[in-house]
This record gives sequence, structure tokens and C-alpha cells, in this order.
Amino acid sequence: MNAQEQLREMTRKQHQHEYVCRGLFERKGALSYIGHLDLKAVFERALRRAGLPILYSQGFNPRPMIVFALPLGVGIDTEGDWLDVSMEVPFDPDEYVRRINAELPEGLKVIRAVSIDEPQNSIMSVVTCAEYRIEAKGITKPVLDLFSKQEVITMKKSKGREIEVDIRPLLIKPLTSSTPDSVEYMCYAGSTKNLRPDVLLKALCESGGFSKEEADEARVTRIALYGGEYPDISAIEGLT
Amino acid sequence: METRPLLIYNSDMHEEVKVPHSVLMSVESPGRYVGGEKNQIVKPIDDSIVRTVFCFPDVYEIGMSNLALQILYKVLNGPEWSSCERAFSPWPDMDKKMREHNIPLYSLETKSPLNEFDVIAFSLGYEMCFTNVLQMLDLGGVPLLSKDRKDSDPVVVAGGPVTCNIEPMADFFDAAFIGEGEEVDLEFTRVIKEFKDSGKKDRKALLKRLASIDGVYVPGLYTPKFENGKFKGYDIEDGAPATVHKRIVKDLDSVDYPLSPVVPNNNVVHDRAYLELFRGCIRGCRFCQAGYLYRPVREKSMKTLCEQGITIMNNTGYDELGILSLSTSDYSELGPLTDGLLEVFNKQHSSLSLPSLRIDNFALDLMEKASQTRKTGLTFAPEAGTQRLRDVINKGICEDDIMSSLELAFKGGWSTVKLYFMLGLPTETMEDVEGIANLAIKIEKLYFDTMRSIGAKPRKPEITVSTSMFIPKPFTPFEWEDQNTEEEFIQKQTTIRNMLKKHRNIRYIWHDVKTSCWEGIYARGDRRLCPVILEGYKKGSIFDAWDQFFDYGLWTQILHDHGLKWEDYTRGRDVDDPLPWDNIDVGVRKDFLKREREKAYKEQITPNCRQQCSGCGATCYKAGICP
Repeated sequence: MNAQEQLREMTRKQHQHEYVCRGLFERKGALSYIGHLDLKAVFERALRRAGLPILYSQGFNPRPMIVFALPLGVGIDTEGDWLDVSMEVPFDPDEYVRRINAELPEGLKVIRAVSIDEPQNSIMSVVTCAEYRIEAKGITKPVLDLFSKQEVITMKKSKGREIEVDIRPLLIKPLTSSTPDSVEYMCYAGSTKNLRPDVLLKALCESGGFSKEEADEARVTRIALYGGEYPDISAIEGLT
Repeated sequence: METRPLLIYNSDMHEEVKVPHSVLMSVESPGRYVGGEKNQIVKPIDDSIVRTVFCFPDVYEIGMSNLALQILYKVLNGPEWSSCERAFSPWPDMDKKMREHNIPLYSLETKSPLNEFDVIAFSLGYEMCFTNVLQMLDLGGVPLLSKDRKDSDPVVVAGGPVTCNIEPMADFFDAAFIGEGEEVDLEFTRVIKEFKDSGKKDRKALLKRLASIDGVYVPGLYTPKFENGKFKGYDIEDGAPATVHKRIVKDLDSVDYPLSPVVPNNNVVHDRAYLELFRGCIRGCRFCQAGYLYRPVREKSMKTLCEQGITIMNNTGYDELGILSLSTSDYSELGPLTDGLLEVFNKQHSSLSLPSLRIDNFALDLMEKASQTRKTGLTFAPEAGTQRLRDVINKGICEDDIMSSLELAFKGGWSTVKLYFMLGLPTETMEDVEGIANLAIKIEKLYFDTMRSIGAKPRKPEITVSTSMFIPKPFTPFEWEDQNTEEEFIQKQTTIRNMLKKHRNIRYIWHDVKTSCWEGIYARGDRRLCPVILEGYKKGSIFDAWDQFFDYGLWTQILHDHGLKWEDYTRGRDVDDPLPWDNIDVGVRKDFLKREREKAYKEQITPNCRQQCSGCGATCYKAGICP
């Protein structure tokens, strides 16, 4: 049990019930340039401005109980990320969407939400796969080529030293790509197996298949998140 | 020849600055450079609007924690014909990238390069930000020197406490606001609007017209005279006032306070909402420039503050409200105010931050209520180590007060204490310096004695002693004093360090001597420093307020290259010497400052403004506490 789960457990005992609004959100523009913790704070302040009956953690420093499905790196847009917000009372998800959107800064938007009573697991532990889109000049071919390789070796920093890792097993499948400058793919994501798009771009550059300059300008969008064991995957919204 | 008409802004000219994704991804905290915050105000770009860009010459996270920015942003975005955007100093990594990629410095709201604006307004809160002003102008495509600006260039102005002696930067600013911006900003931009609408072209005429506004100093109209390296007054151009008077807000309740301030998306230095309790300070500590500059003391009413505090929290979503002033405990209705706010906050999981409290029974109670269960540290500012020296500086706090408050605090469960002192105060002897260490040692002993007397198990107390360097500042009774040399400061720091070495519960932290000494040069500087600062900037100095960037050797060399010495600025002055800031009037009269200086030498206390009026001169404003 990690610290966040412990906190959740503590809070749950106190209140007996939590009512979760699980929202699908998108992020683009200026808001894409902030880090994960800052994004969390932006949501927290928007929730407070909206005057929603959010549940707070217990302890010295009560925090709103909100959990993201998967951290979102600096510079990455999303069309398909999920966020759980715990409420003190049952709350209409459509009303939640309406009120939070009125308070979110431009670039952040909750697209839709469902309510989940007493989720069994943290949304973080549900995520297993993600779909990404990378837009950059000439990106499609080198990315598609990766899928025909046996292994894709890149260097990774681990405990202060560089080690070789094979990222090929983390790649699942390419999705339809219509232009040479925009490619979509599915890979593993979440707390056990995870392929960050910047690691994939780094691997491409190291193998000489792509230039560093183009990679630096690449725009990455997370399209969707899934749970379940591939290929038996399903949408996050119904998973508890 | 210049053909573009004065300040007529053609919206066709507008070119949005686009920063490549790769640049943003290559710098630290790119969220600083993109805007898009909740409550930002984006007005259209239109010829009929006077466009101001409010520039804060430090990094975004510092600037966005600044209350003046939020207040003036609101004021200048008030009328339909005026707009205000924001810009901050790019951090050295971004500075480098912008130069490499030829990206001009731009406003966060409409991404307009600075040279597209009608007015560039800098907020100067401390002297060491001077080179950042030049950095921002340079990156923004604006000529650095006022005299080099063309009719079509923006008007560059400065505001903030540093403008009470803007001489070291006089060559770079077209104008400076003396006093509080709420009052003068819109009058200033109104004149610019009239000029813009009339299609007149003459920049010099505009500056003269601006100089006729009360509280506006146009340095170009004043030529300093020097004889044998000594300042001898100004030659003043016709039409410019002999003295520029400070402007103030008489009734703070009437100010259109920002109830929906811009809420940064990334973590800034003070991530909370702010409420200003009052301006000025009743105390009259003789070293404190703010205590004189912001006279007279003007309070906001409890009712206004309570309403504003609650609204501002709802509009920002912050979970903490900081109440601001020079001395929180001196707010006359502090108890009812904090009760009123806490009643609402406790239901909303919000907290109250209470800086600048004088620690006594009431304050301890209040801190307990405000932070509920957490025991945060206690802060004391005795400023000097002996009672004699505390009387010299008119710091109305005595050792018995400190000790009895601390005893109460220790009994109440506190064990973390911070103590702030200054080194190099006038008349200071080594006995006073040793007094600093001795006081800390006494407090350490008091902790263990108190624990023993109540039969409690002592924890490890954390006592922090922090010393800064006293820098004589204009408009204080110590404006004529001698500043300690670097060697003297270091010797004093070493003495304290050695005395506290064996006390493991006491931590001693000291400020960098070099930056403070240099700050002293600017504080009482004159116009001969302008070329020094320009050369420092051209040789690569920015962010001098940050110890890691301040190049002491380089600056000293440049000073010498310009035929100047440290002593020219750090030396004591004769009370009858003309001073470079004599053409500025902040309400506090020189004869009062001289009287205070005499009293300091006699170790005599001056009663605070609430006890008795000392006749400083600020009654001329007929505002606030003044009789």
C-alpha cells in the first residue's frame, strides 16, 4: 500500500462512503507546459472555485481527494486522460462536468464523467495501456519500422548509472496513420510496464532513424488510456 | 529619419511571438513563459487603447507572488481605453535560447513583443534587479537609454519603493512614479492617450507634459552637478517641478482591490491569496525605509477585509490566505478580523497565514487557532543584540518581552524559533555583536529550564539566528551613516559563528556580504552609476539579486574603470550635504530625520504613531492615523 492508498484508507474509514466522479479530460495549449503536480494543483483550485462538495484527506494537511489515472509529462497534450474526484455526497456527474469546466483555465476541459460508488481499486492501478500520437516531420515511417524489429535498445538512467533497456516489448501495435508526419500507436502504460513517448523518441534518435532536431519539435498527444490485460482491454470509465 | 508617428499603434503591425516547442521543452519550468492562467485579462489589440505591459524584473515565480502587480494589473485593466499585460525576466536558460533563436521578449497575454506597447512599466522592489530591467528592454527590442528612444518607442517608467532614489537607473527610464501606483497610473496613461489621439509626435514634449503630473519624476529634465566627485544638486529644466511629491491612496477601502487575481498554473514562491491589512507602519524603526516611505499609516476597515478575504478565496480556489502588512499585530482589529475569517475558513479547509506577528499571548493564541494542530515556527526580529542598540534603532522590543513570550510559547509546545538581526547598525560595537549570540544562547537555556519547570520531556529545540547587513537607505534617519565594509561584516559574522559553534541546537545563517555591500552602492547611488550598470549588463550580468549569478569581481572592476570607488557611496555623509534624492519628497521631512538621528545617538526612543505624533511631516497627506 503506497502513501496515497493509505491516506485514502484513512479517509474512507472516517467518512464511511466516498462518491467518485470519474472524468475524461483533455489538455492542450499553455496548460500542456506544466508538470504533473502543478496540474493537480490547477484541478484542486478549480474544484474549490466551483464550490463542489469534495472529500478531503484527514491529517495535518487536508488535501482534496483527487487521483489521476496516469501522470502526464510536461509538454504532452491529451485527449483521453482520466481523473477521479471523491465527493462527500452522491453527485450528478453532468453537473460536475458543467461546474468544473466553468472554472478550469483555457486548455483544460472535462469532456464527460461517470459516477462510481466506492471504487475497489485506485484508478492508478487500473491503467495498463495507452495510445499516443506523435506529430513531427517524417515521424511515421521510423515509428512503424520499430514494430518490425526484434528489439529496440536504448540507454536508461537507473540508480545513477546508464543501463541498456529493450523497449520493444513495451510496444503493442501501430494504429492507422494517414500521413508521413503523424503516427499513432499503442503501448503499455501504468505502474508496472510503461513506455514514455520521450523515451521512444530518444530510442529513435539513438538508432539514427530520426533527427534530434525533428524529435525536439515533435508534438505528443495521449489519445486514450485502457485497462485490462492486452488484448482483452476495456475503457477506463467502467473499471473499478 | 523617423517616419512612424508617435505612439500611434497600428494593429496591422502586431506580430504574435511564437516560441518553438523545442525551446520551451529545453528550459526549466516552461509554464513561466506561456500565460493562460485563470483570471488573466486579455483585451483586444486596438489603436484606441493605451497598452501597458507591466514588467517584473525577476523570474515569473517571484513576480507572480507580488501584490503590487496584481493591484496595478486590475487598475490598468479597469477603463475600456486602457489595457495591461504582464512580462517577466526570462531565466538565464531562456534568455540564452531567446537570443539564439531571435525571439523577442513578449507579454504573456497577447504574446506581443515589448516594443509594441505604449507604456512599459517596471515594478522595482529591490535594487539588485537593475540589470534585469536592461535585459527585459534589450530582449523586448527597446533602446536601453532614454535619450536614444525614438518618437515611436514605448514610454519606459518605473514604480515601487526603489524609485525614491532612481538615480542609478535614471538614464534608462523616461519617468518614475513616486509613491503608490493606484493613484498616478491612470492619470499617466490618460495623458498618453490624449497624446496618442491627437497624433502629436514630439517625445520631448510628451515627457515634459508627463512631468507636470503630480508624483511623476522625469529624470531627463534634471541634470546632476558634481564637484570634485561630490554631488552638488541639479540643473532643472524649465517647467519641471523642483521637488516631486509622493502620491498616496488616502482611503484604502476605496481602492479597487483585486478580488480575482491571476492564479498561476505553476508553483510560485508564495502560492496563496493575499489581503493587505494596512499601509505604513506605526513603529518608526530607524533603519527601516519602508516604515518611512509608506507613511502615513492607513488601515482598511475590518468589514471590507472580511468580505474581501472570503471573496478572494472563492475566486481563486487557494487554500491559504496571507494577510499582509509591515506589522500584522498593529492592525487595530486583528482579533475580530481573524475570528471572522477563520470561522469561514475552517469549514472550507482553508488556512490563514500570519506573517510579521509580534509574539505575545494574543499572537500565540491566534497562531494556535489559525493553524489548528500544526505548530509552526515562531519568528522574532530583535534586530540588535543589546538593549542599548535596540534603543538606538528605536526597535520597541526588550529582552524581557522576548523571554516571557518565549516561555509561554515553549510551555504551549513550540520549540522552533527564528531570530532575525542586523549587523553594522550605527554605533554598533563588538559587545552588541556578541549580544546576538548571547541572546540565542539564553533562549536555548530558557527552553530547557522551561521544560524542566513544567516537568515536560524536552525535545531538540531548533533555534535559528539569521543576520543580514544593515544598509543605510534614503529617507531614513540613517541616510547619512557610514556603511560597514566587507571586512567588518565578515569579522562580525565570524565572531557570532565562533560563539555559536558549540551550541548544537542553534543554527546560524548569514547573508552573502558581497551582494549586500553592492546593494548599498545602489541604495544611495547617483547618476554616475548608470554607465556602470550598463556595462555590467553588457558584460553579461543579470539576476544580480541571486547570489549564484552576482559577479562581485566584475562589478568592482567596472566601478573602478569608471573612476568610482566603493567609498564614494558607502561613506558617511554630512547632514548638510546635498543628496541625490533631495528632489523627491516622500512626506517625511529632513529636519525630522535629523532629529531622529540625534535621538538615536542619545539612545532615545520615539513613541509610535498611535501613542503620540512625532511630527514627521506625513500629516500633510491628511490621511489615516495622522491627527
